[in-house]
Amino acid sequence: MKNKIYIGLLIILVVFQGSFLHVEAAKQIDYKSAEFKAVAQQFACTCGCGQDHYECDPNTCNLTTEFKADLVEMMNKGWDKDKIREYYINIYGEEILTSPEKSGFSLTAWVLPFVVIGAAGIAVFFIIRKWVKKKGTEEDVAEYESPEEEVEGEILSSIIDEERKKYL
Amino acid sequence: MYLFANATIYIGLAIAIYSLLIMTLGISTKNQKFVNSGKGGLIALLVCSSLAMLSLFYLLATSQFQYEYVHDYTSSELPIIYKLTALWAGNAGSLLLWTFFLTLYTFMIALSRKLKGNPMVPYISAILLANAVFFFFILGFVAKPFILLDEIPIEGKGLNPMLQNPGMIIHPVTLYLGYVGLAIPFAFAMAALILKNVDDFWIKMTRRWTIIAWLFLSLGNIFGGQWAYVELGWGGYWAWDPVENASFMPWLTATAFLHSVMIQERKNMLKIWNISLIIVSYALTLFGTFLVRSGVLTSVHAFANSNLGLYFLIFMGVAVIGALYVLMSRYNLLKRSAGEFNSFVSKESSFLINNLLLVGAAFAVFWGTIFPLVSEAVRGTKVTVGLPFFNKVEAPILLSMMFIMAVCPLLAWQKSTVKNLRKNFMIPAILAILAMILMVVLGIQKAWAVIGYGVISLLLITHFLEFYRGVKARRKMTKESPLVALYRLMIRNRRRYGGYIVHLGIAFITMGIIGSQNYDLQTMKTVDLGKSIELKDYRINYDRLDQKKEGINDIVYADVTVFKNGKKLGTYQPEKVFYGNWEQPSSEVAIISSLKEDLYIVLSAWEDDGKATFVVKVNPMMNWLWIGSFMIVIGALFAVWNGKYGNVTPRYTGVRKEVS
Repeated sequence: MKNKIYIGLLIILVVFQGSFLHVEAAKQIDYKSAEFKAVAQQFACTCGCGQDHYECDPNTCNLTTEFKADLVEMMNKGWDKDKIREYYINIYGEEILTSPEKSGFSLTAWVLPFVVIGAAGIAVFFIIRKWVKKKGTEEDVAEYESPEEEVEGEILSSIIDEERKKYL
Repeated sequence: MYLFANATIYIGLAIAIYSLLIMTLGISTKNQKFVNSGKGGLIALLVCSSLAMLSLFYLLATSQFQYEYVHDYTSSELPIIYKLTALWAGNAGSLLLWTFFLTLYTFMIALSRKLKGNPMVPYISAILLANAVFFFFILGFVAKPFILLDEIPIEGKGLNPMLQNPGMIIHPVTLYLGYVGLAIPFAFAMAALILKNVDDFWIKMTRRWTIIAWLFLSLGNIFGGQWAYVELGWGGYWAWDPVENASFMPWLTATAFLHSVMIQERKNMLKIWNISLIIVSYALTLFGTFLVRSGVLTSVHAFANSNLGLYFLIFMGVAVIGALYVLMSRYNLLKRSAGEFNSFVSKESSFLINNLLLVGAAFAVFWGTIFPLVSEAVRGTKVTVGLPFFNKVEAPILLSMMFIMAVCPLLAWQKSTVKNLRKNFMIPAILAILAMILMVVLGIQKAWAVIGYGVISLLLITHFLEFYRGVKARRKMTKESPLVALYRLMIRNRRRYGGYIVHLGIAFITMGIIGSQNYDLQTMKTVDLGKSIELKDYRINYDRLDQKKEGINDIVYADVTVFKNGKKLGTYQPEKVFYGNWEQPSSEVAIISSLKEDLYIVLSAWEDDGKATFVVKVNPMMNWLWIGSFMIVIGALFAVWNGKYGNVTPRYTGVRKEVS
């Protein structure tokens, strides 16, 4: 009896598993949703539009229609964006990505700007220090102690200038 | 007509070469007659380029399809305005426009009243003439605008529908005015170096021309962004495309120059740096053109690939090497006048950091733009460096820039003491932190947005304080009413307050960018006729789908009624246009705009049973971008306007030579 129940359950499972999966697969993913954006924005469309697969219009580009469908399929399988990314890199290489990887030689793309700014920042620091030092122990005579005085100074000189123009 | 049009180019080339030679001869032999002859040549050159422009306008307007350019970029049914603007739709025409602006600027400088009798003029003219020779050479032998076809076609290929938009009428014009404009400060810099005379006069003239070029570059980029937003159906305005990068880089370096030149003015320092910035800005305009026209990089701004880029690269090389040679030969002269700083914390230091960040941002853009080429050369893989890269790399740099911009007005020249700092910064800093807390309480949770808006709050407060203090100080002395005091304060120091208005404009643009990048919502839905799409507070009812004919174009449109919180906003018509002479259809989007946000509706697709697919977006704070842009224009114009007070061109006191 027990066996029969098991077999019955098994049959029910076998019969319905397809429809369960079907329900899962049919889950609609909005092509403009944030979750789809996170995945699709990683990949460059190769139709010549210069856009990524999130932006590329499926009405004018067949390539992206299929690509989007594949992405949705993978998302439905439960793959996250990194796994999907790995999958495509294995097939097409890094060329398919919209931005370089953060490893290997491509890391230089990400790091170099900050290294250069950092290095230049240190250089600027030393230059300012040199210039300040050059001033040495001389008495620091600031023309204006604060912005207010500076503004007042400027206004005063402009008024004087104006008056001067009136009479000269 | 064919002979006449081509004659304008080739005679132009001959005149340009003649003028350059005679001008150089005049300079070296100190013969005013020769220089005057060269100046005459400049007028003739402007006549030539104007006639070439008019010829092409005429050919385009009258649809003379026997000409390749007319055939490639227009068709007979095109509205006259777009027939005319097709002049800058292709390579040859846009270079002709460039040449025209170059000759126009050269003419304006060489015969300017203010520069009369100035010995710099022959040098500036000669440098600009060398540019003109290059451009006329390109027009004459590489990208010829007036080529006849073997057979006369009945119809032209038509203009890319994307370019049939008011934004496209003005975007290239302003951008080229900006590009060409940067040749002027370059010429001034070179002339000053050759004459060993980098003084106050040079600063004032160069700055004014740089602001003008900067303004046009800004306008060019803004119009480009605005066009992309309304025309491409993409909902964005900046894609970090190589061409956009090409115009953004000189914009950044020119901005850096406009700030660091103030240190030169006050302290007679950073001369070499400033001249380098001018050279780099100019070189970047040529480099950008090389990138765009050579086809080495994929870009949405599709110009036909040709060897044109190579010529620009060579010309850039020659110009940069020449400029560096002149710079090096005057190195000692420039170095001699190096000054010193009084303190670590001062306006001077903040300008240096500003320069570091601006040039750093330009370098990051440059590096990202050329990285595909570098990667291909190093390891044979041509990677794409797109939007995610630039957004991630540029955001922290530009945000730091905003912070410096916020802090700088409160720092004193020479030296800021700790006491001053505390006094000046305590209140703005507390207010900015309060604003950030308020944002978090009100539901703005994203770190970038909170930090960004916090920095902008600080900027707004410090700039307000600047105006407030100025007015207060003026009133203390003059007892004027606040508005009069504000007005007089501003017109008496146009540069400073113009600059502040520009800062405020940048703050508005940044607010728009942060809002639209972090809080946009989108959906793409297929709905049955009569059904609706809901997004945020909006409900979009899909009422009707129909088709109409406009000229040779077929237009499919949907009537949609938009409700916000149940209140009807109106009926709108997003369209899809199918062109009679163009393969790709385009989307005419419906935009319902408000200060808070834009609702952006695109008709994407439809089926026979009436079902239609719409892309609906809510783009927050888009109008802030356009308002900020407007403020930039106002600020820049205010700064360069020739007022009654100050800002007058100083008298030239440099080296005198016999020719002028």
